[in-house]
Amino acid sequence: MLHFKYLLWLAVGVLLPQLVGSATLMSLLTQSLIYALFALGVGILLRQCGLVSFGHAAFFGISGYSVALLMRDLELGAASAIVLTLVALAIVAFLLGLVVSRIPGIAFGMLTLAIGQTVYLSALKSRETLGGADGLNINWPSSIFGLDVRLFYDPASMFVISWVVMLVTIYLLDRLFRSRFGSITSAIRDNEERARFIGLHVMLPKAVVYALSAVVSGLAGVLSAIYTGFISPETLHWSVSGTALIMTILGGVRYLWGPILGAIFYFFVKEYVGELTDYWMAMLGAVVIFIVVFAPNGVSGLLMQLQERRQKRKQDVIVRRMEVRS
Amino acid sequence: MIQVPFFSVRDLVVDYGGVRAIDGVHLEINKGEIRGLIGPNGAGKSTFIDAVTGRRIPTAGQVQLGGEDITQLAVVARRMRGVSRSFQRTSIFHDMNVLEQVFLASHQAQAKDPERDAVAILEELDLLQYADWRAGDLGYGQQRRLDLALALVGSPSVLLLDEPMAGLTVTESRDLAQHLKRLARERNVTVLLVEHDMEVVFGISDRVTVLELGKPLAEGTPDEIRANPKVREAYLGSAA
Ligand SMILES: Nc1ncnc2c1ncn2[C@@H]1O[C@H](COP(=O)(O)OP(=O)(O)O)[C@@H](O)[C@H]1O
Ligand SMILES: [Mg+2]
Repeated sequence: MLHFKYLLWLAVGVLLPQLVGSATLMSLLTQSLIYALFALGVGILLRQCGLVSFGHAAFFGISGYSVALLMRDLELGAASAIVLTLVALAIVAFLLGLVVSRIPGIAFGMLTLAIGQTVYLSALKSRETLGGADGLNINWPSSIFGLDVRLFYDPASMFVISWVVMLVTIYLLDRLFRSRFGSITSAIRDNEERARFIGLHVMLPKAVVYALSAVVSGLAGVLSAIYTGFISPETLHWSVSGTALIMTILGGVRYLWGPILGAIFYFFVKEYVGELTDYWMAMLGAVVIFIVVFAPNGVSGLLMQLQERRQKRKQDVIVRRMEVRS
Repeated sequence: MIQVPFFSVRDLVVDYGGVRAIDGVHLEINKGEIRGLIGPNGAGKSTFIDAVTGRRIPTAGQVQLGGEDITQLAVVARRMRGVSRSFQRTSIFHDMNVLEQVFLASHQAQAKDPERDAVAILEELDLLQYADWRAGDLGYGQQRRLDLALALVGSPSVLLLDEPMAGLTVTESRDLAQHLKRLARERNVTVLLVEHDMEVVFGISDRVTVLELGKPLAEGTPDEIRANPKVREAYLGSAA
């Protein structure tokens, strides 16, 4: 049943590019999907640990730089460079998580912001190795993981690739968070003191979620670096972290697909409202405030609420019919 | 054979900054005993539980369990040795469902069959019909019992209960006391019960310790404590 649902969504992703006529729309969708994965990384940290990161652009950008350097300076193949980058990112983020996830609330946000900006400024200053403000062009080989590299450049096929990556990621995360590990992290987020008193070590699970969230955002960074063939300090800027966070809040984190929806929503507002008015940011801000105040579970939460209500109405109708009959 | 007390606290001192909340408390409890701990508000009962369970590190003194010094251990390490507690201010997992959290607590406490253990405790505490409820949606009395359930699972060796009956009606608390007594006996749990309801404490405790201003005032069987003139004067005054 569960797998059927994923197959259905897979079909949707494969069919969608066939139905989209406009090239602009297609490239908008592909871009939102990559950012959606980025936002998902931010989202799982919020969902499982209640931690708000203002520095995830670091993971998004670093992975692009790392893959570029591993290929250029160590002459690794694309696949090994990507795998090595994500493994290293997981380890570094885990160690970092052991330290930063001890810090509560606002202070955690500020710390991640500081770390993020440090990374941004370092990349900006490093003219020799990282190309400074100009960034780096990445020379991808003709195929990556056995796929023709042109598939990664074309918005339509890249959409399908990103869609598959996203589905697999959501599937794995969903399984993980439904397991005991999910219970443990929920308990810690909910009431850390009580968690300790029922015998839970609270730091380790948080660090694991932090590492996971970094890897998911890093994976998005890799996709972005392949898609654009380019990496620059811009991707490390705090405003990029902020954008991912806004997408996450827009979409809501109760459901794993919330941040995905949030990212798509964000790009559509930016594109279509941005065309009408220069104040699209202000309008988006108003939407974010509305959501924070009235719909803490975001757009995804609202949708699910609507659906539940519809289902309940349907059930009520059935019950009433049965009552009439009997 | 010399009988070594299963659980003992020696010369315990706990300070909050300049305030000495526990001032040289000595306490020994035998395995399977239910010990009442009473005393007026501010006597230091909650602080005592905090120091024993690792929520606060004492200024001086020793806490021993089964011959092992656990004074400096972290909360989780103590829980692994069977030290478990409930809270005066209800402490549960509001966003989780009832069974899930009790199951998790039981699993962490290394119960042999956590599922069965969790269900048994929920049944005993009359919470089984709320198994799939979000804990935050429960009523006050049910949340109190859930707090207790989280402490009871996995057969702890020492269970420290901080006013588990607070806020319950008289019937509810008498009823809960009977459940508690049965569970403790069944599972051979050593219990330290802090409670304001004297009838409950005297009714189910084997022995009672009276605390006043951080110091032990008296200790004895419920009858002895009831008859103790010092206690009557200092604490039971109005009731006696
Ligand atoms: N967190 C705290 N900080 C400072 N003083 C405290 C704190 N908790 C308790 N106290 C003080 O310690 C004493 C004992 O309090 P407590 O252990 O809560 O007593 P009881 O549980 O017997 O009512 C009181 O004088 C109280 O004011
Ligand atoms: Mg108290």
